[in-house]
Amino acid sequence: MFVDLQVGDLTEPLTGRSWKSQEAMAQIFQRVELYGNQGIRRSERVFLFNGNNLEFFADLLALWYVGACAVPIDGRLTPFEIENLVKTVRPRFAFIDSTLDRATMTALSVHGVSPLDIRAHDRDGVRSSKNYAPRGEARLDDEALILFTSGSTGTPKGVVHTHRSLRARWMALRECLGVESYHRTLCLLPTHFGHGLICNSLFPWLSAQHLFIAPPFSTDLLMQLGRLIDEHEISFLSSVPSMWALALKTSKPPQANKLRRIHCGSAPLSAYLWRQIQDWAGIKEVYNAYGITETGSWVAGTTVGEFEPEDGLVGLPWGAVIKILRSAETAALFDNNAQCRADEIGYVWINTPALMQGYFNQRELTDQAVSSGWFLTGDMGLIDERGWLYLKGREREEINKGGTKIYPTDVDAVVEKFAYAQSVCTFAIADPLYGQNVAMAVVLKRQDAQAIQALHRWMKEHLADFKMPQRWYVVDSLPQNSRGKISRQSVQEMCAGLPPLDLPALLRSPS
Amino acid sequence: MDREQKKNELIGFLRTIQRPDYPHNQIDEDSSLIESGLIDSLALLQIVTHLEQAYDLDFREIGFDPAELRSVGSILNLIARELKS
Repeated sequence: MFVDLQVGDLTEPLTGRSWKSQEAMAQIFQRVELYGNQGIRRSERVFLFNGNNLEFFADLLALWYVGACAVPIDGRLTPFEIENLVKTVRPRFAFIDSTLDRATMTALSVHGVSPLDIRAHDRDGVRSSKNYAPRGEARLDDEALILFTSGSTGTPKGVVHTHRSLRARWMALRECLGVESYHRTLCLLPTHFGHGLICNSLFPWLSAQHLFIAPPFSTDLLMQLGRLIDEHEISFLSSVPSMWALALKTSKPPQANKLRRIHCGSAPLSAYLWRQIQDWAGIKEVYNAYGITETGSWVAGTTVGEFEPEDGLVGLPWGAVIKILRSAETAALFDNNAQCRADEIGYVWINTPALMQGYFNQRELTDQAVSSGWFLTGDMGLIDERGWLYLKGREREEINKGGTKIYPTDVDAVVEKFAYAQSVCTFAIADPLYGQNVAMAVVLKRQDAQAIQALHRWMKEHLADFKMPQRWYVVDSLPQNSRGKISRQSVQEMCAGLPPLDLPALLRSPS
Repeated sequence: MDREQKKNELIGFLRTIQRPDYPHNQIDEDSSLIESGLIDSLALLQIVTHLEQAYDLDFREIGFDPAELRSVGSILNLIARELKS
């Protein structure tokens, strides 16, 4: 199945656990047999809760060998959100580890999902001979991976990648980036995240490079990043901008001169931070990597030769054709007059063989985003006379909290179901640490402390912690446009002049 | 400033950066700032910045164990050690 894909060594730098590539393959093959015996079959969709460790990667590849589709889940979601995903995907199995809480286990069990914990199984009975190699059951156009990017509280939006689209991404990256700089790759990003999984981890690891997998966004590791890079002779790591604020302030730079390249993506990278990263790392090859889950993540970056960091600079496509059009309508794709001139800002459209198959069970949504192989990114940008891509803003309705995307509609969907809620609007606010954070304006039928405390309890029960609004505004009405629709921008502008609720004090008051 | 004054000053600062939805009535010396939910992990950056400004510390130079930022008590120990040296 994996023709020219070959696994490399795997190490957990924090625990010191490590598998050589042969051991990793043996672990994968053991699981292929074990999971086959458990009844996992081709085309089966399996949830994976056990990210960012050695076992996760063995589980993932074992699933692909048996022809199943992996659905990595963000363990920070509430049981309510996980139940919603379960109802959408209807998996029969979930790979778990000891960190999964009881409420989530109950939610899985209610829907007949069988938990599988590899460490709980006696593997003595399964073949572990190095000569044993199972036959891969997957086909190129089978579903390989579903990554849920939003809608966990309403209609989940799952990006479906096939083996074909994933392989296209890895092949394109090999061609555009080579693998030399990635021979000892560190991943500090979550493996339920396209950037962390497809590009930071699987691209090097399935190119036979050594992957060092760490807990996601670990502040302890960031504060000792230079030492970690030196100790493990790391040649490459990817990152999001918010990670650097802490690392640059607290970690001594690496001294061993082994680091070759850094990528930074998933959120805008300012020229100022970019230069600081270059100075700290002592290397010029710090690339702004533009990636979208739908395109298999990294789709363009700063492989332009000599360059100076600039706000918005991305660079050249990696395995893609990028067009800037004056319109977000699909008709523009076939209208020569719709193409922007050099330096003219327009809508960013991408054509790549690594494009997702579509959104899970959402044909209409897929058709809105994809037309004739072209994907409407929701980003605004320009291409200059040298052919370099610059990003100039977003049309997408999302809050980018330090690289983690939060969709306002996910928060709205939870608040709208609260008994005393009349209307709600979630919006972005500027945040010195994360770039953006979450704020909420809500109209309540009852505005007393008890009602607000009850709303807080309701939201804690249904919404993952990282999506909880940082600022709350309780208002009498929300501004609407001429069509009666609440405009997030108008609400944002209205709230900018209002004092937010003193939530800590309110929650401390007796109920 | 003695330790008690430093503690009050630090707790006053932590109140300004605490997560808005955690109704902690008191912050004791031993509780983990992150695990208790008082602050989120990236807010450690704000603590570091505050300590640099308030006590003229340079964290890139002094070399510290991240566990020293775990609680109010461990931060006070860190301040005491660095001011002494």
